[in-house]
Amino acid sequence: MKAPLPVAARVESRVVASQLRSRRRMLALGAAGALAALAPLALLHGQPFWVNILISTYLFGGLAVAWNLMAGFAGQFSLGHGVFFAVGAYTTARLYLLWGVSPWLGLLPAALACALIGPLIFWPTFRLKGAFFAIATLAFNEVGVVCANYFESLTGGPRGLQIPFKPGFAQMIFTNPAHTAVLMFSYLALCVAAAVAVRRSRLGYYLLAVREDEDAARASGIDVTGVKLRGTALSAALTAVGGALFVMAVRTIDPPSLFSLPDIGFKFALLTLIGGIGTLAGPVVGAFLIIPTETWLRATLGGGLPGMHLVILGGLMLAAALFMRKGLVHAIVTLVERAQRWRTKGQRHD
Amino acid sequence: MELLNLLSIGILLGGIYALVALGLNLIFGVIRVVNFAHGELVMLGMYGAWACSKLLKVDPYVTLLAVLPALFVLGLLIQRFVIQPLQNEHMMQMFATFALLTIAQNAVLVLTRGEGQSVNTALAGMAVELGDVRLTATRLVILGSVTAIALGLHLFLNRTLLGKSIRAVTQDRAAARLMGIHVERTFAITFGIGAALAGLAGVLLAPIYTLSPGIGGNFIFAAFAVVVLGGLGSVAGAYAGGMIVGVVESFAGFYIDPELKQAVWFLIFLAVLVFKPSGLFGQKGAEEMGMREQT
Repeated sequence: MKAPLPVAARVESRVVASQLRSRRRMLALGAAGALAALAPLALLHGQPFWVNILISTYLFGGLAVAWNLMAGFAGQFSLGHGVFFAVGAYTTARLYLLWGVSPWLGLLPAALACALIGPLIFWPTFRLKGAFFAIATLAFNEVGVVCANYFESLTGGPRGLQIPFKPGFAQMIFTNPAHTAVLMFSYLALCVAAAVAVRRSRLGYYLLAVREDEDAARASGIDVTGVKLRGTALSAALTAVGGALFVMAVRTIDPPSLFSLPDIGFKFALLTLIGGIGTLAGPVVGAFLIIPTETWLRATLGGGLPGMHLVILGGLMLAAALFMRKGLVHAIVTLVERAQRWRTKGQRHD
Repeated sequence: MELLNLLSIGILLGGIYALVALGLNLIFGVIRVVNFAHGELVMLGMYGAWACSKLLKVDPYVTLLAVLPALFVLGLLIQRFVIQPLQNEHMMQMFATFALLTIAQNAVLVLTRGEGQSVNTALAGMAVELGDVRLTATRLVILGSVTAIALGLHLFLNRTLLGKSIRAVTQDRAAARLMGIHVERTFAITFGIGAALAGLAGVLLAPIYTLSPGIGGNFIFAAFAVVVLGGLGSVAGAYAGGMIVGVVESFAGFYIDPELKQAVWFLIFLAVLVFKPSGLFGQKGAEEMGMREQT
């Protein structure tokens, strides 16, 4: 019983690791997951309401996976990822509005910028642990709001940026929302693939080692800060891509919407924690649970009593925190493990 | 003259920050719960003052008699039913307080339909003038109360048995339990006092703000910054930290740019976290204390 967070992940990683060991099994698992995620789109592609929900589900699923790379794998609970999301969105939108750079190209400098900014601003905070790291990164988010309001020439200031509706593949603007949904699904797939690749790589094992016990990791020769910085760069770059896709999908951004804690910065954490932090599937599961519930509640209750849907959502979050402390994925894995142990009980003596 | 004016504005503002930070200092600084809902406790205190003064037709300052006990009980309940079950799950704890924030904010939004409210007191409009410097009475009340509360809290934590047991459970829960301290009860009482202080802040702040459900967000970051700046668990630190943040904000707003004033003190906050995490008045190593797993 050492580190509090990782127990959940440790159990899952044992299960996942055994699955990931064989490439064939991994591909089969990935294909099954992709099909399961795409099924609702295939069924509901004619209904704009549900397609829009799926768009945000895929997008935020991907963003949560990117966040989990750092918070779950490396144990660095960042609340400052809204900054990367916003930098990605602003960079892509600015390049498009100024010089007509296609967002497909614009998201590259956006990702690159965050891969540089992320390690740079997080580097001084890496000596902080736990809650202190979270609060310090939260301050980045607040500095971000102030800067976004101040540097009007870049961000449009409080008025924000608007992108004219000019449909076309090159502009990444689609008349059919189902196409946007496919784009967001690809982003989710990209993030999951990146997470799986990291999890199987040397970097992934280093990240987990740092999370489990920083001092022990350092003692065994791991460059702890370097590992954290690399994790940050990757996580920040993926988050920036998410921001780039977001801006082209909604076509209007301003500081309050980009730096909103409940809708952006904290949401990554929220989805991941409900699903299961530190696990591969957790963030995606969390997104598929929360985003549709939230949107549906808003649609059914928001008109009559503004705020009512968030009271209910807050209650659900609280219940999830109290009754599934380590997230849904862990709850399921524990059940499966218990069943397995029960089955093999007769053959083993331990 | 300009300097004196800015300084007095800064100190009065600092009084507000210190007031909110004192409660958070108990919850975050002493028992190490990252309570994102602290601003919402202040907000509930404000609405409590508004509702009581409207229903009972009394001056908002009188409503302290009802708001303080109510928030103390609310604090006890939060600690007992939300924080305590999530002991040792720091991230889930943070997440749960965020859920509480969402619930409180939106419940008030539902109840008030989002209309801005204001609270009137006999003191509104009164002011003390010292030369060119004008000090409004409502803000002077805050400065006076925060000074008194800081002194009282300091004595309470250092001189009384309950205060000492609060500090003991922070340092080492197991050892405190062996000394016969009822750990859970101590934590609950501490959280209750912290929440009551938030309610007090809410009542005192109600006359100078327009009430809205999201108003807690104005204080929460400042309060965290003040607690870290002053040093976790240090009452004197929270008081001085509040003043520093207030004065920095007022000077930066005047000399640099009003829009950047908050960025300036966020940067100071980050600098303190990075270079002196124990804060200005905190014990060395205080930031590590209580973060490790305890039973």
